[in-house]
Amino acid sequence: MDEWNPNPAVKPHKKRSWYLAWKYKLMNQRALRKLCQTGAVLFLLVTVIVNIKLILDTRRAAYEEEEESAQDYDDEMLNVEVPRHPVNNKKVLDVEVYSSRSKVYVAVDGTTVLEDEAREQGRGIHVIVLNQATGHVMAKRVFDTYSPHEDEAMVLFLNMVARGRILIFTIKDEGSFHLKDTAKNVLKSLGSQVAPFLSWRDMWTFVGKKGGEVYGEKHAKSPALSTWGDPVLLKTEVHLTSVEDAECHWPDTELNRRRKRFCSKVEGYGSVCSCKDPTPIEFNPDPLKDNKVFDVPVAVIAGNRPNYLYRMLRSLLSAQGVNPQMITVFIDGYYEEPMDVVELFGLSGIQHTPISIKNARVSQHYKASLTATFNLFPDAKFAVVLEEDLDISVDFFSFLSQSIHLLEEDESLYCISAWNDQGYEHTAEDPSLLYRVETMPGLGWVLRKSLYKDELEPKWPTPEKLWDWDMWMRMPEQRKGRECIIPDISRSYHFGIVGLNMNGYFHEAYFKKHKFNTVPNVQLKNVESLRKDAYETEIHRLLGEAEVLDHSKNPCEDSFVPDTEGKVYVMFIRMDQEADFTTWTQLAKCLHIWDLDVRGNHKGLWRLFRKKNHFLVVGVPASPYSSKKPSSVTPIYMEPPAKEEGAVAVPAVAAAEQT
Amino acid sequence: NGAAFSRVRGSQSGRGSTSWHVVRKFLGLISSHNIPVYLIDPLILGLVDKDMEQIRSSPGGPSPQCKYFCAPRDFTTFALLDKTWKHEVGLFRTAEKMGFQWLKILNKDPRLAEMDDLSGMEIPLHYIFKLASHAIHLVVFYERSGNFLWHGPLRLQQHMDRKFVPFRRLHFGRYPGAYEKPELLHVSIDDLQVQIPKDPSSFLEEMSHSRFLECRYREARAFFQLYPDDASLGAVEFRQKAKSLLHLAALTLNNLGVKFWLSSGTCLGWYRQCNVIPYSKDVDLGIFIRDYKAEIIPAFQKAGLPLKHKFGKVEDSLELSFQGEDDVKLDIFFFYEEDDHIWNGGTQAKSGKKFKYFFPKFTLCWTEFVELKVHVPCETLQYVEANYGPEWKVPVQTWDWKSSPSNVQDNGVWPVDEWDDVIQIY
Repeated sequence: MDEWNPNPAVKPHKKRSWYLAWKYKLMNQRALRKLCQTGAVLFLLVTVIVNIKLILDTRRAAYEEEEESAQDYDDEMLNVEVPRHPVNNKKVLDVEVYSSRSKVYVAVDGTTVLEDEAREQGRGIHVIVLNQATGHVMAKRVFDTYSPHEDEAMVLFLNMVARGRILIFTIKDEGSFHLKDTAKNVLKSLGSQVAPFLSWRDMWTFVGKKGGEVYGEKHAKSPALSTWGDPVLLKTEVHLTSVEDAECHWPDTELNRRRKRFCSKVEGYGSVCSCKDPTPIEFNPDPLKDNKVFDVPVAVIAGNRPNYLYRMLRSLLSAQGVNPQMITVFIDGYYEEPMDVVELFGLSGIQHTPISIKNARVSQHYKASLTATFNLFPDAKFAVVLEEDLDISVDFFSFLSQSIHLLEEDESLYCISAWNDQGYEHTAEDPSLLYRVETMPGLGWVLRKSLYKDELEPKWPTPEKLWDWDMWMRMPEQRKGRECIIPDISRSYHFGIVGLNMNGYFHEAYFKKHKFNTVPNVQLKNVESLRKDAYETEIHRLLGEAEVLDHSKNPCEDSFVPDTEGKVYVMFIRMDQEADFTTWTQLAKCLHIWDLDVRGNHKGLWRLFRKKNHFLVVGVPASPYSSKKPSSVTPIYMEPPAKEEGAVAVPAVAAAEQT
Repeated sequence: NGAAFSRVRGSQSGRGSTSWHVVRKFLGLISSHNIPVYLIDPLILGLVDKDMEQIRSSPGGPSPQCKYFCAPRDFTTFALLDKTWKHEVGLFRTAEKMGFQWLKILNKDPRLAEMDDLSGMEIPLHYIFKLASHAIHLVVFYERSGNFLWHGPLRLQQHMDRKFVPFRRLHFGRYPGAYEKPELLHVSIDDLQVQIPKDPSSFLEEMSHSRFLECRYREARAFFQLYPDDASLGAVEFRQKAKSLLHLAALTLNNLGVKFWLSSGTCLGWYRQCNVIPYSKDVDLGIFIRDYKAEIIPAFQKAGLPLKHKFGKVEDSLELSFQGEDDVKLDIFFFYEEDDHIWNGGTQAKSGKKFKYFFPKFTLCWTEFVELKVHVPCETLQYVEANYGPEWKVPVQTWDWKSSPSNVQDNGVWPVDEWDDVIQIY
């Protein structure tokens, strides 16, 4: 991205500061209130127009309207913000910080860098980090310290900010309820006098330099439990330092030039910007011998979660056999910070004007990204598709290199995926084992070009259809009975907690305990047996060898499986026809694996591990493997619990779709 | 020895030795960064082509005289395959240290043009390295869908130095160009180690009509705004069939060395909507009658496309139709060139009536269509307008090839005794 160029045509709106001060003082005088409001609306309108014009100027590509839908997608405020800069030769910044129940704002040299008056949003402590030499906004975060654990996140963040940066704090609504002593002490160590005594519904603003002077602090106590402290407005000046003082003195190499650009722009990435001992941004993992996927393009699908993207790219670039030249990051929207991350790692990135809303927006972003990938790499027969909230296993490319020929040769295959929906800590065991499944797990997968170009692209859901791309890909019209190859132990790990269909609870329940391979260079076992016909032979062999479990016991109990290791067991459940998953779903629930829809099945058979034994589940009589059931065994039937008032279950399934 | 050599040459022509010297320095710069470039300068390749036998047979030995790089020229042209280097900025730092001034010409990535909502980084299309009075023009080639190489046009931006080199005289950059992936040969000429296209004369041939036209994606999007695309299963399937039929036809004709272009509805689909028109029912190609080969019919039959009908004869109004998969038909029209126009003929089977379709003269350009490098008339608008009239932008579902085209004229009737020959239906 271009360096910000001062635009002499637009003057910083100096008027703003005295006007606002005046405005908030007069707010309580009823007679003037109406007039003020009208005036304020007009003035804000003008400001917004000027700001928008500025944005359009600086981001020349962004000629399409910035969609309001941006908010729906990434839970991030799309504030009207102008890149900050020092007016030439000016060594002092005017900083204004406002804290109140329903609104916070921060203005630097008359330009609003934060403004949040949305209802029921943005509660807690807002933190802004400015570059001490340029005044540029480097990070903007809000920590809802009314809720538990958010103070820990804030401490983590503040610790990552480099010494010398300017920190601005302001509270909206309530920010003390779960602000624990540790956090208060950190704030105190930054020079705040008030922080240790912050209490219920106090208003507070603070400006200081990390590890240095305090530029100002204001506080208004809440007089009673039921009311808020009066709004506070802090106006102060911050003295800028020279650029040299604000930068680290790393040796002048191409890598460090990238690092410097990054570190002077954004904050909150920790040791990558450490002056003394910066963490590497080039990883040079061991090359992979006979790498069959070296020339396969890798599309990383991203939104506006730059910290996730940073973590993801680190793990991707550390994986053995990675070829950085084949990686393209597709960013959904004109966000600067994800692009900064992409450039830090020297990768190429493409920004995508948002089309449509919510799920359909993601779906359109996927389509554009896949089309672009095959256009940019016209020789490629495949593409690896990754998302920004995945960790990539060290042997990710080794896993693909060993299996990709199957996707090329076996037309009954739909994809190779790095993710096993049923591969939890307690149900996955063997890093060298692969399965064929009728479901399409996503979360790090390989797409065949011919499948995309000939089948998917021409009929991809149009923007007005609010469909999830992955649910659409799983539909029988698209999948046409084809299967995906997956590993027993996943080669990707889904760490995203904030997402379109994701929340902390959901993540904890379904993703956190997922097993993730950390062993390098795993030699996959018997890859050829994954071919269509060979796999049937293999399954029959397994079933022939399997010991039938005692069907009189409760399959949910641990004792259902004997205390052995390395054996093969089989159980039979009732499955009246192909789509009857009643018993399976109950079993999945009690085994604490994915139960929100049916995943990981192959012709009415599921394969997983219990107590380090291979554990097979066959649905009788729908599965063709039912013939293996001894006539004495009655398939286990598990009844679904009596229907609750639907309300709980339905959103859970909806949430599960985008994973 | 290189320097000594240049001193000798230098005595003959001061500028000439400069050229050689600059090329040598440039090749040194490039190889120190492991960047594989190859020579595409038409003037030098023209000279090299005459001596190919000799150059092939004497690798590496010192040249008795400087024949190729020493002639006084303003610039020498090389090609670079984009995917073979990593865009390290180190190259330019070294270049500066060596005394080069350089200029980079960036532009939008055409591989993303299909989607107006993507904004990739601009890509480098041309580099110019200048030292003293000689410049190196480095043309960057990109791989495109359709298995070919593409280079972009050279367009200066406002702030650029218009006199950096005599831009108008550059051999590449007036238009974008499309090329096959060349086979390269490592040779030593004038004591310089360079890569050249293995067959310089066919490269020069290719260069002479390499002009490339990008599809008009912006207009196509506007068209789809007005007339939303048909996304029905039938349309998707037809497009798929038309695409594979076109791929098969291109393969067959290219193997025979017969030049063809997109004609009629297929050309309209490319020009208007960058896609196959879903209700068009067939694929239409044009071939100049001078390129006609008797092997065409057996070759298509061998490819699994039986002849459906043959109208006319080589001397007059020839037209072939082959049966593709599930009713998708491949129509090949042969075009006859006159002094001031080009025409092709039509025949009505039941009446023996002849028709003539007039087109203004046109030349052929390359384009990319359904993952294929194919020809279209460069003067596409005139071509389409001749065929479909000024209202070509409006979709018309019912089309009578005998009366709808705006360039059709009655052309008499075939004599009855010729019918067996000129009206063959299978």
